[in-house]
Amino acid sequence: MIYLDHAAATPMNEKVLEAMKPYFLTDFFNPSAAYLPAKKVAHEYEEAKGIIAHTIGAKATDLVITAGATEANNLALSIAESWDNGRILYLVTEHDSVRKVAENHNGVSINVLPNGLIDMADLREKMTDDVVIISIALANNEIGVIQPLAEVSAFIREVRFDRLSRGVRTPIYLHSDASQALNLLDINVARLGVDLMTLNAAKVYGPKGVGALYVSHEVKLKPATYGGGQERGLRAGTENVPGVIGFAKAVELAHEHLNGNRKKYARFKKILLQELEDYELINKTHTLDNFVVLCYNGLDAERLIYLLEDRGVYVSTGAACAASKGVRSHVLTALGLSESEINGSLRLTLGETNTEEQIHEAARIINEVVKTERERTHG
Amino acid sequence: MAKVFVGMSGGVDSSVAAMLLVQQGYDVTGVYMKNWSRDLPGMKCPWAEDLADAKRVAVKLGIPFEVWDFEDAYREKVVEYMLAEFKKGNTPNPDIMCNQEIKFKLFFEKALEKGADFIATGHYARVIPFSQTSSCPPVVTGGTSSKLPVGRNVCENGISLARATDENKDQTYFLYRISKEALKHTLFPIGEMLKPDVKKLAAEHGLHNAYKKESMGVCFVGEVGMKDFLKEYIDIKPGEIREIESEKVLGYHEGAIFYTIGQRHGLYLSGVAGEKNDGMPYYVVDKDLEKNIVYVSKNLNHAAIWTKELELTDIMLRDEIPEKISVRLRHRAPLVPATFDGTKVIFENEIKRPASGQSVVFYDGEICLGGGIIK
Repeated sequence: MIYLDHAAATPMNEKVLEAMKPYFLTDFFNPSAAYLPAKKVAHEYEEAKGIIAHTIGAKATDLVITAGATEANNLALSIAESWDNGRILYLVTEHDSVRKVAENHNGVSINVLPNGLIDMADLREKMTDDVVIISIALANNEIGVIQPLAEVSAFIREVRFDRLSRGVRTPIYLHSDASQALNLLDINVARLGVDLMTLNAAKVYGPKGVGALYVSHEVKLKPATYGGGQERGLRAGTENVPGVIGFAKAVELAHEHLNGNRKKYARFKKILLQELEDYELINKTHTLDNFVVLCYNGLDAERLIYLLEDRGVYVSTGAACAASKGVRSHVLTALGLSESEINGSLRLTLGETNTEEQIHEAARIINEVVKTERERTHG
Repeated sequence: MAKVFVGMSGGVDSSVAAMLLVQQGYDVTGVYMKNWSRDLPGMKCPWAEDLADAKRVAVKLGIPFEVWDFEDAYREKVVEYMLAEFKKGNTPNPDIMCNQEIKFKLFFEKALEKGADFIATGHYARVIPFSQTSSCPPVVTGGTSSKLPVGRNVCENGISLARATDENKDQTYFLYRISKEALKHTLFPIGEMLKPDVKKLAAEHGLHNAYKKESMGVCFVGEVGMKDFLKEYIDIKPGEIREIESEKVLGYHEGAIFYTIGQRHGLYLSGVAGEKNDGMPYYVVDKDLEKNIVYVSKNLNHAAIWTKELELTDIMLRDEIPEKISVRLRHRAPLVPATFDGTKVIFENEIKRPASGQSVVFYDGEICLGGGIIK
């Protein structure tokens, strides 16, 4: 198997599993219980949250643990509900867990330039006084394009100043889904100027079903669930201790290998781009090192997926969910690609399971499959 | 090389049908018919999986694959028809309508436009030539009974619709209304196979869906039952359930429309039933749509349950009707002996009365002669 879909899911690191195990078996206590062993678990849980928070330059108390990125995005955008007619602005290329929420809150999308970067002029134009939150993923999940968040937050500071000067009371916050970037970029919430940030364990070789929302102390969210008041009262429910321990371990490992991995993926990407034939590269600049989005114009990428799957190579078209829903990728559409270009687009995302040998092999197999399909379609 | 468009649903039957056509040397194109997508807000659409399954098989077979969208037609011809029939108090069969209006009409017509010689599906049924049927009537120009419409498909086209070799899976009950013109251009590649062999063949050839769970019931109703489906379109209207003999109120229902004659499940009967609870179930024997009353009885001999004849409407005859026929009252129900006088089916023995709107399908031996809808 050659797995080239690390943006969809990552295998869990052995060390992560080992770190989690005791919290299922022996240290299973409810962190809210009164006896000492439970207190110890509560302490270790907070420590783990601290490790996760630290990688983005935040504190344990800034994080709300969720059951994944989708929930974190939903929670972040729920701030719009606190204000009458609160509006959400979002980048047109955002994940469905942002778009679908925004659509229910007078959401307005901000265009991207043909290279996938935010169109700042469009943002300025669409900034109205009812906008409560702007959601822009740090790195896009279909094309890996990294957005200039610091530039956006500088603009937001201007907007804040302007609103206050005019006596407008509606606040404005910047949210960013960093699910794809946590193990590939050095992230710092203060430097980026974000008020809310979504993190996801499943994309960084941690357990599935665990995520976190960084919430700056200035943002007053309403609780997602009511109950025992866990997670600053924002998300009641007994803590997912093993999940958070695993998340912390995964984040630790990711940061230990951050630079090495980036170099490795950049090298693999270069090999692919050299050895693959007959393609156009879609994500040319400002992109994560492990994202290779290829366009085989005139071919049907879904057919390529099934043919490659038969040869043991696993790739994807756009986001896994978009592909399985039979709808054309809204991300590639936003880049201005034609229908035939979109239909011929493959997403390869490199990761820790890959070796250099695999990359050469993958390039060879993809070339063969593409050649066969070209021959079939031409007659 | 004859050109065939094969309807591929993503299931094992149509997948093997497509594979056999490829092996037989046809120029095959796989087509997924998008008939119904019930994309509710926030819901993952269920047809995407089926589409992916169909496409994966097409790729494996190395054939072109297309998606044809019949959603609007399906909504109009099948779903709306079905809802209208239920509102009239009938219990229609949407699968029969889907075959008549979509698969063997719109799909067929579009395939012909695209240069098809044949269409094919994964139905368990056969098309057999005239010469193979010993029971085939001679070429005549008039009916033996003046009441019989003249419609001798056998004589016109030299083919008949015949029951599948796998008697357990035979689907001619759903196909009796398809047009003769379409049948002339139809291939049923698995019609002579047994289902277990179809699965085995799929597995042997590495088709990933060999053991896929079979879709049951009405395609678009999916996993929710018919009643739940109807509830999305027809408002609940509580009413009484009365015992037909005593007129006594035994319980309440959510709307007479949702109940079918012969039904014995899903009745909300109160403790009254327990008074003389002998463990015998109550059956729906009648319903008064105007007063919204459902009548039940536990008397299995109740006159409303049994009948010796059924009057039909929307009759579709494929062949000459012989003196004696056998009929099927439900998919996979046993064949029962009867006669047909042009409007009424008269049974040799009393049968349990099926709901109005259901179909009665006629057979002469293995040949499907057509049928009609119960008034």
